[in-house]
Amino acid sequence: MRKGLRIYLPFAANELKRQLAYKGAFYLFILVHLFGSFISYYLWIAIYGSSEKEVIGGLTQSEMVVYVFMVYVTASIVTASISTIVSDDVVKGTVAMNLIKPIDYRLSLIAMASGNMVYRFLVPSVLIWIGLEIYKIKVLGLAPVSIAGIFLYLVSCVMSFLIYVLFDFCFGMLAFFTTYIFGMRMAKEALLGFLTGQLIPISFFPAAMQRVFDFLPFSSIVYTPVMIYLGKYTGETLVFMMLRQAAWVVFLYVAGSLIWRQVTKRLVVLGG
Amino acid sequence: MKKVNHMIEVSHISKDFVAPKKYPGLRGAVKGLFSAEKVIKTAVDDISFSIDTGEIVGYIGSNGAGKSTTIKMMTGILVPTKGTCTVAGINPSRSRKENAQNIGVVFGQRTQLWWDLPLSESFTILKEIYNVSDTAYAEQMEFLNRVLALQDFFDRPVRTLSLGQRMRADLGAALLHNPKVLYLDEPTIGLDLVVKDNIRKAIKEINEKYQTTVILTTHDIGDIEELCSRIMIIDEGRKIYDGSLCELKDTYGTKRKVSMEVKQPEKIKGLCLHELLGVQEAECSMALNLENSTLSVTFDKHKLQVPQLLSAVMAVAEVKDIQIQETELAEIVKEIYNHGVGGAA
Repeated sequence: MRKGLRIYLPFAANELKRQLAYKGAFYLFILVHLFGSFISYYLWIAIYGSSEKEVIGGLTQSEMVVYVFMVYVTASIVTASISTIVSDDVVKGTVAMNLIKPIDYRLSLIAMASGNMVYRFLVPSVLIWIGLEIYKIKVLGLAPVSIAGIFLYLVSCVMSFLIYVLFDFCFGMLAFFTTYIFGMRMAKEALLGFLTGQLIPISFFPAAMQRVFDFLPFSSIVYTPVMIYLGKYTGETLVFMMLRQAAWVVFLYVAGSLIWRQVTKRLVVLGG
Repeated sequence: MKKVNHMIEVSHISKDFVAPKKYPGLRGAVKGLFSAEKVIKTAVDDISFSIDTGEIVGYIGSNGAGKSTTIKMMTGILVPTKGTCTVAGINPSRSRKENAQNIGVVFGQRTQLWWDLPLSESFTILKEIYNVSDTAYAEQMEFLNRVLALQDFFDRPVRTLSLGQRMRADLGAALLHNPKVLYLDEPTIGLDLVVKDNIRKAIKEINEKYQTTVILTTHDIGDIEELCSRIMIIDEGRKIYDGSLCELKDTYGTKRKVSMEVKQPEKIKGLCLHELLGVQEAECSMALNLENSTLSVTFDKHKLQVPQLLSAVMAVAEVKDIQIQETELAEIVKEIYNHGVGGAA
């Protein structure tokens, strides 16, 4: 385990350094996404304002505000994409340089993603999170989140991160078959916006669709940790939700290994 | 445990690539969307060889002959379609990570270094990856600094290195864990003469010091002549030559060329050398250039000797100057690429 850490830690550290080198792009990324969060904030305010009900989809207006911004915080920590790296490696043939080393390709990618995650957590997310907490207490008049709540949320986030990365690895494997996955990545992002609950809370969907979502890993990526943060899950439900996340981690890990084995069999290294 | 006789054993290895069939034109592109036809391209076709510890083998062939594909199968990156391959007793595609610990690879056209980081950090990461102990690291770095002079740019980010520096760094990186086998895929591509020379010297020294087995693909005949005792030539996925360098020169480089500057070229005009010496015309052909009064004779060195030829010419005209040329290796290889082994003989 310690040896593993020694090998893969440099990958994480390297990714952190690389992110620091491309600061401009990163801040633009934050700005664009934050802008999106504000749009949905105003949209929800309007929806609640024109509605006669106080609670829509199980959330009050104040909770919805917290939901919108916590979705932003969670998504930026959790969704560190590696499928781009995989498809780049495939198209440029650099995957060969990873395969000549006595390392596990997937673990090195996960290490890179975690470096990215740490960076995103430290730079925008924590600040927005603190800002949100202050706003929540001062303006919305809600109780501050408990230490246990923060702890559970972070544990859930780590699992979300693993689910996302492991899923993205499987997705990135498509590059080995199609070479170029830019278009599919766009489709994936759009679809995930819905399926993870980033655009609309899952509880807003019809009951039948929610049941379908239960069998997909995506709601575990963003929706579950945010609901845990909001304190919507308690007791048995909480345990069940976290176990479900853990189950997805295991399932996607195994699925990824199987796909990887198949892929390496028919691997073509491009560019001589 | 099975005894390892050879460092590398490759038997009847083949690699097919399957690609969807493409049709020409826009209509073809649309048709391609609905068609499931596949084209199978055989990049490596039933190749076998074995390499002993400490050998330096030149693996040559024209572009697209299948050199890199073979190397990639030996490194465990690609899984062979047919056949088996063992490197230091390990099957590379089945135990890729285990095999990776034994090998060092330089792909001249790529780098295994971390592009945005100082070179020193790449080496630190590699030290961890290959689990090199501190003392072994210090010792190896001293050696690498001596032969490759890495200290000159050790603290600079890899992206700022010149091609020559990068190649030295890459070679160093491949050698840090002191591998048993070193694969070099065009290690001198795009390098100037001095750097090329340094790289070759370094390879030689490493081979002598550690008995490292080296497999080298290159398009630079100079690399082969200076480094390799044995060469393998591959064409369209098939091995067409495997043997020592001298043997290749002996078998295929049988032609010799003698150029003579003569005083009275007119006198030679009517001379029929092959009849005079009693050989076939193909074994001794002559060309006379009247402008600079030079007679050049190309002949088979197994059939004729230079003195024989000289005396025959000197009997009719006075020779002022003489030059003898062996067929160069580059010529032989070019012949083989063009016509296969048969054509070169």
